[in-house]
Amino acid sequence: MLICNIICLIHNVEIEYTQFYNVYTIKEREIKLEHSNTLLNFENVWKIYQMGEVEVPALKGIDVGIKKGDFVAIVGASGSGKSTMMNLIGCLDVPSKGKILLKGQDISRLSESDLASFRGKTIGFIFQQYNLIPTMSAFENVMLPLEFQDVVDSIASKRTREILEFVELSDKMHNLPSQLSGGQQQRVSIARCLVTDPEIILADEPTGALDSVTGENIIKMLEKLWREEGKTIIMVTHDLNLAKYANTTIELKDGEIIRIQENCNSG
Amino acid sequence: MKLSKSLKHALNMMLHSKLRSWLTIIGIVIGVSSVIAIVSIGEGMEQSLNAQISELGGDILTITPGVSRSGDRHFRTTTASSSQATEEEIVLDRTDVQALRGIPDIDLIDTQIRKNVDVSYRDKWGSLSLTGVDQKVWSQITTEEIRDGRMLDSADQNVIVIGASLADNYFDQPLGINKVITIEGNSFRIVGILDDQSTNIIMPIQMAYQVMDGKEKDIYDSIIVKIRDEENLDAVVEKIENKLMITRHVTESNKDFTITSNVQIMEMRSEMMSSVSLFLTAIAAVSLLVGIVGITNTMFTSVLEKTKEIGIMKAIGARNKDILAIFLFNAGLIGLVGGIIGVVLGILLSGALPYLLGDMTIVRGGTVVSLNVIIFALSISVLVGMIAGAIPAYQGSKLKPVDALRYE
Repeated sequence: MLICNIICLIHNVEIEYTQFYNVYTIKEREIKLEHSNTLLNFENVWKIYQMGEVEVPALKGIDVGIKKGDFVAIVGASGSGKSTMMNLIGCLDVPSKGKILLKGQDISRLSESDLASFRGKTIGFIFQQYNLIPTMSAFENVMLPLEFQDVVDSIASKRTREILEFVELSDKMHNLPSQLSGGQQQRVSIARCLVTDPEIILADEPTGALDSVTGENIIKMLEKLWREEGKTIIMVTHDLNLAKYANTTIELKDGEIIRIQENCNSG
Repeated sequence: MKLSKSLKHALNMMLHSKLRSWLTIIGIVIGVSSVIAIVSIGEGMEQSLNAQISELGGDILTITPGVSRSGDRHFRTTTASSSQATEEEIVLDRTDVQALRGIPDIDLIDTQIRKNVDVSYRDKWGSLSLTGVDQKVWSQITTEEIRDGRMLDSADQNVIVIGASLADNYFDQPLGINKVITIEGNSFRIVGILDDQSTNIIMPIQMAYQVMDGKEKDIYDSIIVKIRDEENLDAVVEKIENKLMITRHVTESNKDFTITSNVQIMEMRSEMMSSVSLFLTAIAAVSLLVGIVGITNTMFTSVLEKTKEIGIMKAIGARNKDILAIFLFNAGLIGLVGGIIGVVLGILLSGALPYLLGDMTIVRGGTVVSLNVIIFALSISVLVGMIAGAIPAYQGSKLKPVDALRYE
């Protein structure tokens, strides 16, 4: 711990100097990845969108690996390709070229139905706009992923209560999303993400729609999940202040990774 | 996802889009209720006809002169016993009755003549149908029931039995037993009132010859026979046919008489009624078709409106078949609710139809809503809903999660 604190101190000095980051070259990072046990691996991943007759590449040959227990922030300006990368990590889309290995499985080779099941069990989503089903109560929203996995009602119900307790919403479980504040809705969204105990939590601008205090609470909750529960967290954000909570920051520009930085945090 | 859960979510979806769902449901309600009401008329007609058929008995045959085959009528020269009849007139006479008496399968034979006659009662006049019957057998052969008084019997002469409508409503004052009315200038005493809705007058055939103009003795308009064993109906018909062809010197090709069983008559009427009923049902089915289009439209809108939710569900693990099931159930539920309300409304409507349509022939038999029709209507509504929702549901299920999530 002491060593860590010292390293952190040194880093803090550098942060002022280099704007939060301790910079490694991409090459150095890749070499490091080859030797680690990666949970998610992008191998020369391209995503090309067809806009009429024009092909627009959103991602251009991405090579990156994410280890189990990482807290990765994907940053970049609007149009840099971070949402596309997020969709690919979340198995919501498949690459145009290249290979994505999630837990050793090539997601392009999975059928739509298998991909849905795999996604449901492995990845939990937290969206910027919470994306709760407006006609369902907080409880029903949180329980929904378990229903898709055919979990027995009694177990699903118990698990939902526990998770809602964890996000401190036991007293609001029967409220509809419209009856909850933004922060409460995001906590429901986190509870829904956690209820299936996923290995990867994928958060897309999780504090984007929240005020700074509520946003801080949410990011602290994510940090807690990372530190205490050992979850792998991948967060897309344009907010560099949020990125500092992550242990690794991947910066994208025009569909390419321009920087991979390791922060002073460790899980 | 378990089907019960899909159903729960479908119900939730329906309850949260009340107005649109209800508007669609109204379309189905109109379709189903009109089908139920119209089918109930058809069933009512059929039941009443069936009741009439069973009342008529399958053991009664009516023999009438003449036969219509492709519009070509066959004539025969009258026999000696009916020499007064014009040569080209086809008639039934005593020879025929005697021939029939030779058939052991026949139990009773009633000879009848029929004509419209002038009837008066207390200065009121009317032209009514008079039937002269062989009073010795008529009471045993007829399927009519007596409401008041008695049937004709063998010793009767100047007496008549009349239909209930004639007795109750025809003249200013109701006619009761022992009242005397005038038929073609002759007085007749009423001894019985039939339990029916007719204005017929029945009297002994010998008296009828006297009051009817142009009717010759021993020439009959029809011969009614009652056979001993209903099971042998077809065989007896054949025997009668053969016998009469011999006595009337005709062959199959120039046969000049017709044998009809009451059952046959009623079956023909029943078939005709069925056609009418089928036609009306087809019209009602059109409104059901409009309902189907309504459901399809609603489901397309619903899928479009729920695109983002489909994306969310897919992101959290919903498979295509889960989405398909939810939307199909939603469409099925709209159909079911429409069906249930339609059935209730249809039953009420069918109950009210006889009052709304008054004395129209099609509702005279009353209306009947059978359990089969209800089950059929409900199944059809659910099925129709699901078929209508199938394409939109399939489209929804095939949405790519990334596109669906991006949808605003």
